[in-house]
Amino acid sequence: MDSISYYLQTALNGLLAGCIYALFAMGLTLIYGVLNFVNFAHGELIMWGAYFLFLFMGDPFGLPLYAALLPALALTGCLGVAMDFSVFRPLRRANRLTLLIAAMGLSVFLRNAAQFFWGAEVRTYGLEITAGMRFLGLSLTAPQIAIIAVTILCVTAVYLLFFRSRLGKSMRALSDNLDLARISGIDTKRAILAAWVISAVLAAVGGILLALDTNLSPEMGVINLIKAFAATLIGGVGNLWGALLGGLLIGLAENLGVLFVSPGYKDAIAFVIMVIILLARPYVITGERSD
Amino acid sequence: MDLLLHLAIVIAIYAVFALSLNVEIGYTGLFNFGHVAFFAIGAYTSALLTLAGAPFGLGLAAGLAAAGLCGYLLSIPALKLQGDYFGIATLGFGEILRMVVNNEVWLTKGPMGLPGIPRPELFGLHFDTLPAYLALSVGMALATFAVLAFIVLSPFGRALKAVRDDETAAEILGKNAFRFKIKSFVIGSVFAGLAGVLWAHYATFISPGDFTLTETILVLLIVVMGGKGTFHGPVVGAVVLIFFQESVRFLRLPPEWTRLLGPLQQMVFGLLLVVFMVFRPEGIVREKGGRRGD
Repeated sequence: MDSISYYLQTALNGLLAGCIYALFAMGLTLIYGVLNFVNFAHGELIMWGAYFLFLFMGDPFGLPLYAALLPALALTGCLGVAMDFSVFRPLRRANRLTLLIAAMGLSVFLRNAAQFFWGAEVRTYGLEITAGMRFLGLSLTAPQIAIIAVTILCVTAVYLLFFRSRLGKSMRALSDNLDLARISGIDTKRAILAAWVISAVLAAVGGILLALDTNLSPEMGVINLIKAFAATLIGGVGNLWGALLGGLLIGLAENLGVLFVSPGYKDAIAFVIMVIILLARPYVITGERSD
Repeated sequence: MDLLLHLAIVIAIYAVFALSLNVEIGYTGLFNFGHVAFFAIGAYTSALLTLAGAPFGLGLAAGLAAAGLCGYLLSIPALKLQGDYFGIATLGFGEILRMVVNNEVWLTKGPMGLPGIPRPELFGLHFDTLPAYLALSVGMALATFAVLAFIVLSPFGRALKAVRDDETAAEILGKNAFRFKIKSFVIGSVFAGLAGVLWAHYATFISPGDFTLTETILVLLIVVMGGKGTFHGPVVGAVVLIFFQESVRFLRLPPEWTRLLGPLQQMVFGLLLVVFMVFRPEGIVREKGGRRGD
C-alpha cells in the first residue's frame, strides 16, 4: 500500500470511529440538555447495549443478528428509563455532588453486573468475517459500511425528531428552561422519558456498532464515556450538532494521532484535546449554550 | 493475629487516602474521580527511588512532592471546569496515568510491576515487621488527621467551605475561589501520595493493576459513606469498608466462587453509593451545621 492511500485509510478509520463517538456524545449531551447533569452511567448504557445483543444472539435465544437487534435496543431503552426511575428521579432536586456520586455508583454497579454474568474477558459476536468493499485502494468491511449507514440514519432520525416533531420541540423547551416549560403546560415527564429512551438507544446503537467492528468487554463503557465527554466539550455542551461534529473530530484525531505517538496512548489523545480546548477556551461550558 | 495486623495496616493507609480525598470532596466540593492517580504517583515515585538505592526518607519526600506537583499541574486546566466536568476530567487523568505506567516500560516495567520494594527505614528505625509497620502507618494516619484538622479549622479551611457552599458569595467577599480550589487540590494530592508511599512499601510489589478506577470508587465510597466534610467520617468509613473488603478476601471459598466474588463486591459498593445518595447523602457521620442533603 502506498503512503497516500495509507493516510487516506487512516483518515477513513478515524471517521468510522468518529461516527460511533458522535452517537455516544449525542446521547450524553441530550440528557445534559434536558436534565442539566452529566450521566456518568452513560458508558454503561453503551456497554449493556452491546451485551444485550450478545445475550440474544447466544444461548438460549440464538437469534440472528438482525432479529436480535430489536430486543437489544428495546431493553437498553428500558434500562435508561429504569436508571431514571430508580436513581435520578428521586434525586431530581438534589445537589449536583449527590447526583454525580449516585451516577458513579450506578455505573460501578452496572459494569460489575455485566462482569458478574459474562466475565471480564473480551468477547466478539462470533460472526463470520465477510469480505470488505474496496475502492481507490481503501478497504471497508461490512460492519464499517454499517457504521456509516446507521450513523446517517440515526442523525437523520434525531434531526426529524427534534426539529420536526412536537415531542422534540417540548424536549428543546425543557432544555432551555425546565420550570418555564412546565408552567407552559408541556408534559415534562413524557419529554424526560423520551430523552432517556433516545439517549439509551443511541448509546446501544453505538456500542453494538463498536462491538461489531472490534469486540466487547465490561470496560468498554468507561473509556468511551471519556471520549463522548471530550466530543461534547468540543461541540459545546448541550448542543446536538456540536456533539456530532466533536465526535467525528475526536475519531479523526485519535487515528491520525497514532501516526505520531505510540498506539499505547491512543486513548489518551481525546483527553489531551480536551485539555487543550479548556486552556484555549476556559469558559466554554460555564452554562451558556450555543444552541 | 497477622490477619488482624494486616487489616489494621490497610485501614490506616486507606484512612490517609480517604482523609486526603475528603479535603477535596468534603470541604471544597471538588468532585475528584481520579484520586487514585496521586496514590499511584506517590507509590511509584518512592518505589522507584528506593529500588534505585535511595533512602526511604528521600523516597517519601519525593513521593509527596511528585503527587503535589502533578496535582498542581492538573488542577490549573481542570479547575476551570465546573462540577461534573471537573469530575470527568479527573477521571480521564486517572485513566491516562495508568496508560503511562503501562506504556513507559523503561521506567515502570509496565504491566510486570515493581517487585521487591524495600520495607522502610527511617531515623535508624526498621519497619520490617508487621507490628512495626502498623506503628508507622498509624503514626502517619494520626499525623495526617492532625495536619488536615489544623488546616480545616484554620481560616483557610473556613474559606474552603465558603467556596464550596457559595462560590459567588466567597468571590464577593474577596476570596479568589480558583486559588483556594487549587490549594485544596494540591493538599489532597500530597496526602494521597503519602497513602501511596505507605501502600508501596507495605505491599512491596506494585503494578498498574493496583491503581484502577476500582480504587477510586472504594475511597470515594469510604468518604461518602463515612460522612464527607467531617473529621471522623472518612476514618469510620475506612474501618467499615476495609474490614468488609479484606475479610471477604480471607474467607475460604471454592475457587469458582472467587471469580464471581470480585464483581459481586463491586456491585455491592456501587449499590451502597446509590443507596446512600438517595436515602442519606450526608453519610454515617453528619457534618455539624451542614444542611441535610448537602
